[in-house]
Amino acid sequence: MSITFTSCEDYLEDVPKGSKIPQTLADFEALIRNEYTNHTVNVNQALNLLNDKYVTAPTLAFDRLTNANYLWDESANRIELNMSDEGTYYFSYSAISTFNLIIENALVTTEADEGEQRELWAEAKVLRAMSYFNLVNYYADTYEASTAASKLSIPLITSANINAPSTQVSIQEMYDFILKDVEEALPYLPAVSQTVLHPNLGTGYAFYARVYLQMNNYTEALRYADMALAENDALYDWTSFYNANETIIENPDSYTSLPSPMGYNYVENYSYRHGAVARFASENDISIERAERFETGDARFLSRWKIRTVGAETFYKATLSGNFNYGGITSVEAYLIKAECLARDGAINDAMDVLNEVRKTRILVDEYEDLTAANEAEAINAILKTKNNELILTIVPFCDARRLNAEGVYPVSFSKTFNGTAYSLASDSHLWTMPFPQGATDNPGNGTITQNVEK
Amino acid sequence: MEIKSTNVLFFPKAIGIKKKSLMIIMRTFIFLLCTTVFSLSSDNVVSQNARINVDVDKTVTVDEIFDLIMSQTDYVFIYQIDMFKDFPKVQLKKGTIRVDKLLNQSISLTKFNIVLSADNTIIIKVKTQQQIQITGKVTDENGLPVVGATVLIKGTTKGTATDFDGAFSIMVPNPENVLVFSALGFETQEITVGNQSVINITLKESSFELEEVLITGYQTISSERATGSFSKLNSQDIQEQRPNSLSTLLEGRIAGYQNGLLRGTTSMNGLTTPLYVIDGFPIEKTRYNEFFGIEENLPDLNLEDIESITVLKDASAASIYGARAANGVIVITTKKAQQGKTNVSFSSTLTYSPYNYYTGNLTNAGDIVELEREWAEGNPNLQATDGSAATYSASLLNNAVYTSQGMQTLLNYYAGNLSESQMNNTLNSLGAMQYQYYDDIEKYAKRDQYFQQHNISFGKATANNNFNASVTFKGNKYDDKYSENNSVGINLKNTAELAKWLTIDLGTYIYFNKADQQTYNALSPGFKYQPYNRLVNEDGTLFISTAESRYNNSTLQSINDYGLYNMDITPMDEFGKNLNKGKNFLNRTFVKLNVELSEFLTYNAMFQYEYGVDRTSQLKEKESYSVRSTVNGLVTISPSNTAVYNLPYGDILKESNQFSNAYNFRQQLNFNKLFDNIHDVSAILGTEIRHSKLEYNDNTRYGWDEQTLSFTPINQANLLQVYGPIFGGYLTQNNFAAERELINRYVSLFGNAGYTYNGKYTATGSLRWDRSNLWGTDNKYQNKPTWSAGASWNVDKETFFSPSWVDMLKVRFSYGIGGNIAKNSAPYLTAYYSTNYNVGGLQGGINSRPNPELSWEKTTTTNIGVDFSVFKQRLNGTIDFYNKKGEDLLASSTGIPTEGWGYSTYTLNNGEMTNKGIEVSLSGTIIKTPSFSWDAGILYAHNKNRVNYVNVEAPVYFLQLDYPSAFPRVGNDFNSIYGYKWAGLSSTGLPQVNDASGNAVSYNPGDLEAIEDYGTTVPTQSGSFHTSVAYKNFSLSALFIYQLGHKMRNSFLPMFGNSYSSAAGGYIANIGVVNKRIVDRWQQPGDENFTNVPRVVYEYDPEFSYDLQSIYSYADINIIDASNIRLSNVSLAYQLPTNLTNKLHLQNIRLNFNVENVFTMAKSKDAKYLLGGYQTPNFVFGLNVNF
Repeated sequence: MSITFTSCEDYLEDVPKGSKIPQTLADFEALIRNEYTNHTVNVNQALNLLNDKYVTAPTLAFDRLTNANYLWDESANRIELNMSDEGTYYFSYSAISTFNLIIENALVTTEADEGEQRELWAEAKVLRAMSYFNLVNYYADTYEASTAASKLSIPLITSANINAPSTQVSIQEMYDFILKDVEEALPYLPAVSQTVLHPNLGTGYAFYARVYLQMNNYTEALRYADMALAENDALYDWTSFYNANETIIENPDSYTSLPSPMGYNYVENYSYRHGAVARFASENDISIERAERFETGDARFLSRWKIRTVGAETFYKATLSGNFNYGGITSVEAYLIKAECLARDGAINDAMDVLNEVRKTRILVDEYEDLTAANEAEAINAILKTKNNELILTIVPFCDARRLNAEGVYPVSFSKTFNGTAYSLASDSHLWTMPFPQGATDNPGNGTITQNVEK
Repeated sequence: MEIKSTNVLFFPKAIGIKKKSLMIIMRTFIFLLCTTVFSLSSDNVVSQNARINVDVDKTVTVDEIFDLIMSQTDYVFIYQIDMFKDFPKVQLKKGTIRVDKLLNQSISLTKFNIVLSADNTIIIKVKTQQQIQITGKVTDENGLPVVGATVLIKGTTKGTATDFDGAFSIMVPNPENVLVFSALGFETQEITVGNQSVINITLKESSFELEEVLITGYQTISSERATGSFSKLNSQDIQEQRPNSLSTLLEGRIAGYQNGLLRGTTSMNGLTTPLYVIDGFPIEKTRYNEFFGIEENLPDLNLEDIESITVLKDASAASIYGARAANGVIVITTKKAQQGKTNVSFSSTLTYSPYNYYTGNLTNAGDIVELEREWAEGNPNLQATDGSAATYSASLLNNAVYTSQGMQTLLNYYAGNLSESQMNNTLNSLGAMQYQYYDDIEKYAKRDQYFQQHNISFGKATANNNFNASVTFKGNKYDDKYSENNSVGINLKNTAELAKWLTIDLGTYIYFNKADQQTYNALSPGFKYQPYNRLVNEDGTLFISTAESRYNNSTLQSINDYGLYNMDITPMDEFGKNLNKGKNFLNRTFVKLNVELSEFLTYNAMFQYEYGVDRTSQLKEKESYSVRSTVNGLVTISPSNTAVYNLPYGDILKESNQFSNAYNFRQQLNFNKLFDNIHDVSAILGTEIRHSKLEYNDNTRYGWDEQTLSFTPINQANLLQVYGPIFGGYLTQNNFAAERELINRYVSLFGNAGYTYNGKYTATGSLRWDRSNLWGTDNKYQNKPTWSAGASWNVDKETFFSPSWVDMLKVRFSYGIGGNIAKNSAPYLTAYYSTNYNVGGLQGGINSRPNPELSWEKTTTTNIGVDFSVFKQRLNGTIDFYNKKGEDLLASSTGIPTEGWGYSTYTLNNGEMTNKGIEVSLSGTIIKTPSFSWDAGILYAHNKNRVNYVNVEAPVYFLQLDYPSAFPRVGNDFNSIYGYKWAGLSSTGLPQVNDASGNAVSYNPGDLEAIEDYGTTVPTQSGSFHTSVAYKNFSLSALFIYQLGHKMRNSFLPMFGNSYSSAAGGYIANIGVVNKRIVDRWQQPGDENFTNVPRVVYEYDPEFSYDLQSIYSYADINIIDASNIRLSNVSLAYQLPTNLTNKLHLQNIRLNFNVENVFTMAKSKDAKYLLGGYQTPNFVFGLNVNF
């Protein structure tokens, strides 16, 4: 028998086509290009809570978790309503798993020199840190130096092996892990990366600035924002975009969409990641109330939304289609981090200059006026107003609101009337922390998961 | 050396001319031709007056004596050269001697025959042993000839077969010989020859003997010695059925065969279909479907050629097939020619199936108009008195939220565009249309189905050659006017005995198929239709669904401003466009060598190669709506505000090709010997190599010109970046091209052995190792063999077993392990790669985690069976009990979200599942007289499936409900149907179900605890009842098939679904054709006490929710009993009388008329509808002629 089989060994070694066992650097590097799995940054419930997207009445009736967050229903048991899966959690860990696999294997991949191996390794580390940052700012309480070491955050898993241990570490440990990952990666990040999906040096700095800002470390945040801007300080001229497309934009009867400039080639990109919808699409519509918070003459707003009535509902209809960099990181954020840090540091005029530099590319010439501030509070309010509008539909306004609420100086709260009923969201509401989906707590794998919010 | 007699004319005058020289020629000739006019001893042969002179004493050879005689007489001798070479010399004395005396002295007359022919030629030949020629005729009890009966001289291998008239002729060495007459379906008889020269015999029919031999594909064994569970069908058993599909031939005729599966579902993720074997070779028709999934199809063959189908159900029977046999094996053998006359037969069936779309349970136009009015009357925005209703209506019209004619009429009234009476007139006339749209479909888009099938086959068998050829033509015209299918199957087979010890078999099967498929469907026409819609307007013009009726003002303005292609749909113009044309070719060619090494040892080598090509092409015509909308969909707007056509406007051609090739090579040693007449030993040992490969590719050409074969190059990279701003069109890489490949290889070693003692006790065992290429299993698990053991006891052969009414009683037991595989899983971490067309380069994703434990699935089957035949074989039956225990089944395991596998389940060999069951087959002859007979048969199968272990839980409630087999629950049937417990209608008419704590809720409880098992979708009891009555030349038969004990979800609900309307920016109630029971809906408080049909909740209602329809459809009131009984086939056949057919020089003519799917009985109207019980029957006219 053995003779027969040995002679057939070669015959059976014929490897089927269509898939392969990744071995070379290129095999692993390709995993980063898989944008639909690894770069889907879904933060839908945060957008619902902020009312940053328009939700129709039938959807509120259908989706009870959306209803609870959109209508700020503190009595709702969101743990029960978050019945099974949730893209925020599932997609993020799926991406983390891929990055773990790359980090584990990059340095032993074939057909590569050490520099290339280290570069891939560093890129995966930054991406992993970005995914963890989103998760910890969604499912755990806001970072506060005094409580971070005693509060749980989210499961930390660093290996792609089956049954690799995962531990729900403290918020402090999670931030330490994120900072360390980026720190280790920075020396190997390229100034210009292979694609916009691969983090470059600018991504590393800008992301570092975002993390330090969230930790209220304005000095470090400013330092890294400046370093990021040194890598890329380009701002997209939305007023030109508006002017070029004015006929279509200003035709009140036309909802023909324009191609989104915020895709892979957006000049403000450090690196690109998708939002909840990772394919060609249009943006979310927004409500009249939300639209009112944009500045008059904001070309970026005018290019993106147009009022529309269908039957009994009136809302702002999204008018761009294509790709949108919601999950990555862009230069405008670095500008606005820098502005806030300067304001926090008492350099009010410098802060407002930075803010106005951004506004000049956004506000139509006819409407534009330099903004000034008399004190830190005015400056910060102006900066955050622009930041909330500039980074709408990303996780950043949500993170900022939580940070400000934890700090307590410039708290964020909302109130509205909907179908004749008044609703409000307090700055200290438990709703600002999202519950883990039941699918995660039911099936925690090789570790345990404790909810960070009661309901 | 046998010498045949022939006519003397073959050597005419030649002999008289030149004697001596001729002799040499004659000596040579003698073996070719010979003559016997009279055969006498030499005394009589040679004239007593004939003398010769011997001049001197001498010693001469016998040859010289002949020379001497010839030189002095007119006699000529003919004999074999060297015949007398070794004969002693003869002493001749000087003088005269009589020729006859001289001959007598020279050669011994006991050893030679001396024959005098014409012209004084004397032929001398060695006297052969005395042979007795026996002729006769074999008939059945009705006096009809038995064709192909075997007549064998007992104890020898000498024999012959009866011809078409039942006649035979055989030479028997001596009177003590015994002739054994046997034929399939008849009791064997033995006759001692004695002094008879004509033996006419009547064979008794024996239905049990039909199962005399079992063909497993690897060997042929007598049923007496089988230990496994087999079912066998012969060609006679299925002749009353139209030979159109293998599955209909098996359904209702094999106990335990159900919906293409044997003995239930035995795998969760691997293959569940049985393995098909044709003439000894496994045939797998694996193909990619249009979504690149892998499908197993039934093999192609000319069904008219089927001689027998043997179904191997348990391990003992099937384990010899190794890693693919756990689901049972269906072994098909095709016909061989019978010795005698050339066999020619012709058969033809014409099938007619009238078109009918059952509307008996659909809402009609009147119902729909009433509901549309209800929508308007209840809509607070339309009923507002502040004047906003007109703006609201205008906005809905401008945004094209509601596009049906009724809704637009209503909105136009509220918008002020129509008067109340205009509206009412229009609505009333729409409401009077009944089922107009379905009537129009029947009239303009459909036709009656018509299927024809013709077969002609030829066969010729001689003692050492057997040739068969058959051709089947099928022509099918389907109810879609442009859908049809034509195929030709050609089967050639030849067996030649090259030498006594060497037989070669050659065979080839060629199949051509050409199919057209209509792709435009009037039931999903691309616009919202209601029963009042038409295909052709009253005035005879074609109905057009205009762009204006479907698109909002902004879109219409864009179509106009940018001059886009017309977006109207004219259904009548679409039917004949964009046909999907398929062409298939398949060839299987085999060669088999059979070498007889000794009396009890043979060696087989066999090889089969299979090659198939499936081509499809769909030419989407420029004028078709599909092309216009694709091209418009991808229009972008240039900076100068003009339309940019990213796709050329022209025909679009999509072609796909699929190539399959497979080979199978097997070598096998067979041992068969009976020791001391009581120890019967048989064994086989062999190796097998199998390879199968499937390649798929497709490509799509744009701007295609069929005439010049030219096409327009397109910029694929740019097109993939386009998201159409007006219609939202986009393309993916599969819109350009796709490639797939699958390859499976196996190397196997197998053997089995059987031992029977004294015809009473049999023990069998088999063992097989399989190894496959990387896909499938980890190497370290590949050495696990599949094996089986079995035993049987022929109780009736015991001397102590006396009941004379029992003709046969046999008890069987078997136990063994069969395997199964998943064709596309691997033990390693594998990644897939494709182009990232956004940022460039290859993108990769993880296909599957490493699965080092991946092995073959293991199914252990225990089978206990009893076969019996009683009352002179009037009643025959088989009962089997089985327990199929699947272990190491590839089962889904829930992925761990934190490990990155939250949305994926992965498959591990950790599932366990059992199928237990009973199968009973009974057949009996109730009445039997020479002119009248009545037979009946019953099949009954009971199967109970239970999942014993899985480690998986549905991650979301709706996956448990929608994909239950991906998330089986331990303790339940694998095919369970899950639902919520119905809690009645609420006081406002909303459907309610119980949540996990038993509270009635009107939303999805979304909790796995609230979801319960409501039975299985697979019948737990199934079988058939077959009866046939024959009177003289007529026979009438009926086949009832029943399936009991299973459930189905009622998907045809008296409730509107919800559909997402991008125009409305949310879900809206989808007013359209639903179950007519919606007229019984809740309409006012209190109705909840009388009806379970929920209130219609429209989207403007505060209680509107997507969940309402969802929980109603998942509630247990909509899980209905699917038990049913079908009269599957009724057949009336007429055999033309023999005297008439003889006049026509034909053997046999049989006419039959069948009705298929005569009726279905189910427990409810909804169940009957969903089971297809309202479909019209097929009417079949058939003709069989044997020349």
